[in-house]
Amino acid sequence: MMATLDDLLWSYQSLIYGLGTNAILGLSMYAVLQLGQLSLGQAAFMGIGAYTGALLTLRLGLPFPLVLAAAAMVPALAALVIGGPTMKLSGVHLAIATIGLGEVLRVAYINTDAMGGALGLSGIPEKSTFAIIFGLLAVILAGFILASRSKIGRACEAIREDEAAARVMGIDVSAYKMTALVISAALAGLAGALNAHFSSFIGPNEFAFEAAVSILSFAILGGVTTPFGPVLGAFVLTALPELLRPFHDFRLVFNGLIIVLVVIFLPRGILGFRIRRTGG
Amino acid sequence: MNRRTVLAAAAVFSATAALSGLAVAAEPVKVGAIECLTGPAAKYGTMIKAGFDLAAEEINAKGGILKGRTIELIYEDSAAQKEQAINAAKKLIGRDHVVALLGPTLSNEMFAAGPVANERGLPIIGTSNTAKGITDIGEFVFRTSLPESDVLPVTLKKAQAKFGIKKVALLYSNDDAFTKSGFDVFKETLEKLGIEIATIETFSVKDTDFSPQLTKIKSLNVDALVVSALAEAGGGLVLQARQLGIPKTVPIIGGNGFNSPKIAEIAGDSADGVIIGSPWFIAKEGAQNKNFVESFRKKYNMDPDQFAAQAYDTMYILAAAFDRAGEADSKKLRDALTKTDNNGLLGPFKFGADRSPATAEGVVVTTIKGGKFTLLQ
Repeated sequence: MMATLDDLLWSYQSLIYGLGTNAILGLSMYAVLQLGQLSLGQAAFMGIGAYTGALLTLRLGLPFPLVLAAAAMVPALAALVIGGPTMKLSGVHLAIATIGLGEVLRVAYINTDAMGGALGLSGIPEKSTFAIIFGLLAVILAGFILASRSKIGRACEAIREDEAAARVMGIDVSAYKMTALVISAALAGLAGALNAHFSSFIGPNEFAFEAAVSILSFAILGGVTTPFGPVLGAFVLTALPELLRPFHDFRLVFNGLIIVLVVIFLPRGILGFRIRRTGG
Repeated sequence: MNRRTVLAAAAVFSATAALSGLAVAAEPVKVGAIECLTGPAAKYGTMIKAGFDLAAEEINAKGGILKGRTIELIYEDSAAQKEQAINAAKKLIGRDHVVALLGPTLSNEMFAAGPVANERGLPIIGTSNTAKGITDIGEFVFRTSLPESDVLPVTLKKAQAKFGIKKVALLYSNDDAFTKSGFDVFKETLEKLGIEIATIETFSVKDTDFSPQLTKIKSLNVDALVVSALAEAGGGLVLQARQLGIPKTVPIIGGNGFNSPKIAEIAGDSADGVIIGSPWFIAKEGAQNKNFVESFRKKYNMDPDQFAAQAYDTMYILAAAFDRAGEADSKKLRDALTKTDNNGLLGPFKFGADRSPATAEGVVVTTIKGGKFTLLQ
């Protein structure tokens, strides 16, 4: 009986890990979307984190907690640097600029032999565990819930609904936007490093436009009115292709169909409600 | 003991024997296959599946393996994503309890799924992975696909001998693992053969316009163009090279990516004279290949390609290894695989110490004539 249970857990282990890391990516998207910023740089930041983490483990053999810290710090620094010029942009302009970032990095990885070039980095040891991934997810989620129930949450909402009005109310809009971008980048980097350390391989084409769109869809499908939305969205979109395996050739048809139905009937996402705030 | 007891005992005995005999005969040997059946690499995955299915059908019809057991293939789609390749491998090993794994289609997927099988001590055989370092994953990882490093030197040597090539232009897609590996081998081999590389030009897998690179090359008066690209970009490149006036007396030598009917489809008449080395081509001589091509056309109503042929051979290699192992046991199967000695569509085949093909004996150098691959004489 124990053996069967072990087998069951082992069979779905990486899927479960994938749920956790994708949920963190969903939250990374949430961090910017709740300010109404359509930044598509999450995949790029995830890539920076994944490469930083993988290189530190493979070349220097640093302990895993240190690797994870660096994998969050480096993309956060990158966000600080590119945040200056791009924060003046909004809407689709910001989206285009951040897609550009992903492309630039992809080409840079391909042409840097020290980073594996087009062949990517393989043989990354398995270091992510259930406790690490879901422990971090819980802490991050708790942080977002606390923030959204406080003054910060209200400020974010004000910025999202009417930036000029928020500024008049005395909210430091630029500071909020920059902080959100840096937090978002750190989370994406963290998720990237966690992913690299359970899938043994990363390649330059994994962090480009397609990845950016799937991260965005985690948040959109789940809904961005509460932090639970992106987490649920990531869970659904990650588990769905695996749950639909019995349909064989038609599984992507069902996968697409379910997503279309959700978007039509639940336009605010699966979780479209709001969290009640404390205080007045 | 009276007559009745004897009869009853005999009946019970024969029933048990029949049942156990049935049970052994009826229980198929499960083999998992992870292939891209959807997504961008589905064209490779479905050809590989067709090759496996055809071979398994033939083997099962001829009495199966391990004295009468059939091979049951369980497919899982990886959709060209490494996470899905891992999930598929884990599902096949942990839930379906397969004895061995075939695939995955792409090298990137093998880098992710290979360690999973290796950790569980299950042989995993790639039939289409050509990247460097695949079998370094572990001692349970095999591949039957000839890496570029075996095929391309044969092509270049043959072309050099035939056309007296002294100076070439080298072009490649630098944003793809497969074409980059091919470029590395081309460059190394050209240097070894003492052929001068007049220029190295790069482009993207998705590019459709190659005129800047080709115009520059035209002015260099090279003896040949050496190209590492996938079929789509390669076809366009060949077409534009001829349109820009690089004469047909300057042969274009392609890597394994060129080994596709697509080249002639895209480039039309301009594809004539393109030179490609391959472990297999459709008009390869021998009764075995004729039978394969015929059965394949009959079953699927289309022509097989190199990937189908490699998959077909691999299934026979696996079946023979099962018989040598004597039982459906992963560890014994691994040891039996290392002693493979097959003579199939790809020619004589043995695994080297690194569990990759030992020789490039089966490589044939072909050229396109009137839209069809023919042997380069």
